[in-house]
Amino acid sequence: MKKVLALLLVLVLTMGLLAGCASEGEVAAPAPTDTPAADGTYRVAYIARAQADSFAAWMANAVKEEAEKYDNITVDIFDGQASDDVENTLIENAITNKYDAIIIQPNNGEAQRPYAEKAVAAGIITITTNARISGIEGASSVDADPYLQAKVNAVAAIDQIPQDANVVVLLGPPGNFHADERRLSWEKEFFEMRPDVTIVGEEIANWNKDEAMNYMETWVQANPKIDAIIAMNDNMAAGALEVIKDNPAYADTLAYGVDGTAEAVLLIEEGRLTSTTLQSAYALAEALLDTADKLLTGEETQIDIDIDCPLVNIDNVQEYIEMHKRAGAIQ
Amino acid sequence: MKNFIDKLKKLNSKGNYSIYLVLIALFIVSWMANENFATWGNLSNISRQIAVGTILAFGQTILIISGMLDLSSGSVLALAGVLSVSVYTMTQSLALSFIVGIAVAVFCNILNGLMVTKFKTPPFIATLAMMAMARGAALMYTKGQNIYQIGDYVVFGQGSWFGIPNPIWFLVITLAITWYLLKHTVFGRSIYAIGGNEEASNASGINVNKVKMKAYIINGIFVGLAGIIFMSRVNGGLPNGAIGFEFKSLTAAVIGGTSFTGGVGTASGTLAGAFIVGFLDNIMVLIGVDSYLQQIVRGAIIALAVIYDISIKTKRKRTKLIKAK
Repeated sequence: MKKVLALLLVLVLTMGLLAGCASEGEVAAPAPTDTPAADGTYRVAYIARAQADSFAAWMANAVKEEAEKYDNITVDIFDGQASDDVENTLIENAITNKYDAIIIQPNNGEAQRPYAEKAVAAGIITITTNARISGIEGASSVDADPYLQAKVNAVAAIDQIPQDANVVVLLGPPGNFHADERRLSWEKEFFEMRPDVTIVGEEIANWNKDEAMNYMETWVQANPKIDAIIAMNDNMAAGALEVIKDNPAYADTLAYGVDGTAEAVLLIEEGRLTSTTLQSAYALAEALLDTADKLLTGEETQIDIDIDCPLVNIDNVQEYIEMHKRAGAIQ
Repeated sequence: MKNFIDKLKKLNSKGNYSIYLVLIALFIVSWMANENFATWGNLSNISRQIAVGTILAFGQTILIISGMLDLSSGSVLALAGVLSVSVYTMTQSLALSFIVGIAVAVFCNILNGLMVTKFKTPPFIATLAMMAMARGAALMYTKGQNIYQIGDYVVFGQGSWFGIPNPIWFLVITLAITWYLLKHTVFGRSIYAIGGNEEASNASGINVNKVKMKAYIINGIFVGLAGIIFMSRVNGGLPNGAIGFEFKSLTAAVIGGTSFTGGVGTASGTLAGAFIVGFLDNIMVLIGVDSYLQQIVRGAIIALAVIYDISIKTKRKRTKLIKAK
C-alpha cells in the first residue's frame, strides 16, 4: 500500500512539474460553464484543427493572446486533434453549451459543413477560418487565400528558375484544402508557363520536416542537379534544405515555401530559402477577434475577409524577423 | 547455380534465414531497377534514415519477446527529444542535454513498467495511455511550436566519426547491445522464458516483474537515444515529430521474425526487417512510383514477407515432426 501511495505521489508531482513548465502559455481549454457570464462578456469557442499541427498551434496561441485585448470577450480553445469526428463533436458540444460565437478551423471543410450549419441554425454566430467553409448562409469567414499564397511565389519563380531546370515538389496531406490549392496554383501559374522545367521528384511529405528530409536525401542520390525545391509549406522546404546545406553542388538551388515561420525567415536571411509567403497567424487572429467583436456587438451581420499574403524574400526579410522577435519566436 | 540454390535451401532449412533471403532478393531487384540504388551514398542514406526507427525497434524486440510492447515510443521520443533540445538551448551543454533526453524517456518507461508490473495493466493499454500523456506533455511544454536555432546539438544526428555518420554508429551500438543482452545474459534468457511461458518462468524462480521492469528501462534508454538523434537530424525540437514511429518500429520487429505470441525474435532479424522497409521506401522514390501506390505496395510487401517467413517456419516444424515420427 505504501508503495502504491508513493507511486501516486510521484505521478502527481510529475504532472505538477509538467504543468508548471507550461503554465504560462497553456492552450488547453478551461472547462466551459453552462451559464453565460453575468458581467455581459461574450463567450467564444475556438475549435482548433489540431494542437499537434505547428501552424494551427501558432494560430491558437495568437487567438488567445489577441483575446486578452478584448474586455468583452473570453475565448475557450478546443483541440480537434486532426480528426473530423472529434472536431464535429466539439462543435456540437459548443452549441449545447450555448456559446455566443463559435470559430471553426476545419480539419476538413466538407466534413464540418453540416455542423457549422447546425451552429448557424441554433442562432450562434459562426465564423470559419483557415480554411473557410464557403457558401454557408449566415456564417462569416476569415482566411488567407492559399491559391494566392502559392501564386506570389510562383510568379517570382518564373524569372528566377533557370531554363530547362530540374525541380522537386513537396506536397501537403492530400485532400487538405490549402495543400491542394497551393499545388494547383503552382501548376497554373508556373508549370504551365514553363514547359521546359522537369519535375524529377514529387512526394507527399505531410507538412513534415523529417519526411521531407528523407525524400530529399533520396532525390539527391538520383539527380546530380536539382535547381529548385518547391514546397507547399516552410517546414518541408526547411527539411529539404537541411539535406543540401553543406553540399557545394547544390549551393545555387532555389527553394520556395509558404507560411513565413520563424525558421523560414532565418533561412531567407542566410540566403538559403529563396522566398516564402507570410500567412500570419497574428494577422488571422487579429482579424478573427475583430470580426467576432463586430458580429457580437451587432455592428455587422456578416463578414468575409481575406488577410494579405505578402511575399517574404531577402529584400524585406528583416521586417519579418522583427515581427517574430517581438512575438518571442526568435531570440 | 543449382548447387548454389540447393545450398541456400539447406541453409534455410537449418536455421531461420528466410527473412535474410527476402532482404537479399529485394536488394538485387532494387539494384537492377535503378543504378543509383547500390551506391555508397544511397546505402548510407538509407541507414541514416532507418536509424531512429530501428533503434526503437530493438527496444520493441526485447519487449515483444517477453510478451509486451510499447505503443508510446513515438510520443516519448518526441517528449525526450524536445526537452533535451530545450536543455541544450538553455545550457549549451551537449552532455547535460544528452543525459536529460535519456532520463526523460527512462522515466516514462519506468511508469510504463510500473503500470504493467504493479498494477497488472495490459501493456497495450498502459503504453497507449503513455502515448497520449507524453505527446500532450511535449505539446504543452513547447506550446505546439517547433524549437529552432539549436546550434551544435546537430552533431548527434548530422555529425560523423571516422567518415561514418553518427546515427549509423548509434545504430550499430544499439544492435550490439541488444544482441549481447538477448544472446549472452541471464536477462536475455529470462526474457525468452517469460515470453514463452510466464507461469512456468515464475515457478522456476525468475523474478518476472523485475525482468519486465528492466526490459522497459532498456527500451527507455533506446527511445531517449532515438529522440536525441531524431531532433538533431531535423535541426529542431519538433513536438509533433515521429508520429507513427511506434508502428514503424513494430513493423520492423515483426517483419524481422519477432513473434507477437512471445518468446521468439532476434536483434539481427529486426535489423533485417528495418532494412526491408528502408530499401522498399527508397527504391520506390528512386524509380518514381506514384505516392498513393507506394502505400499499397508497402503494405502488400510487408504482408508477403511475413506470410513467407511464417510458411517457411511451419514447413520446417512439420518436417521435424515427420522426422521425429
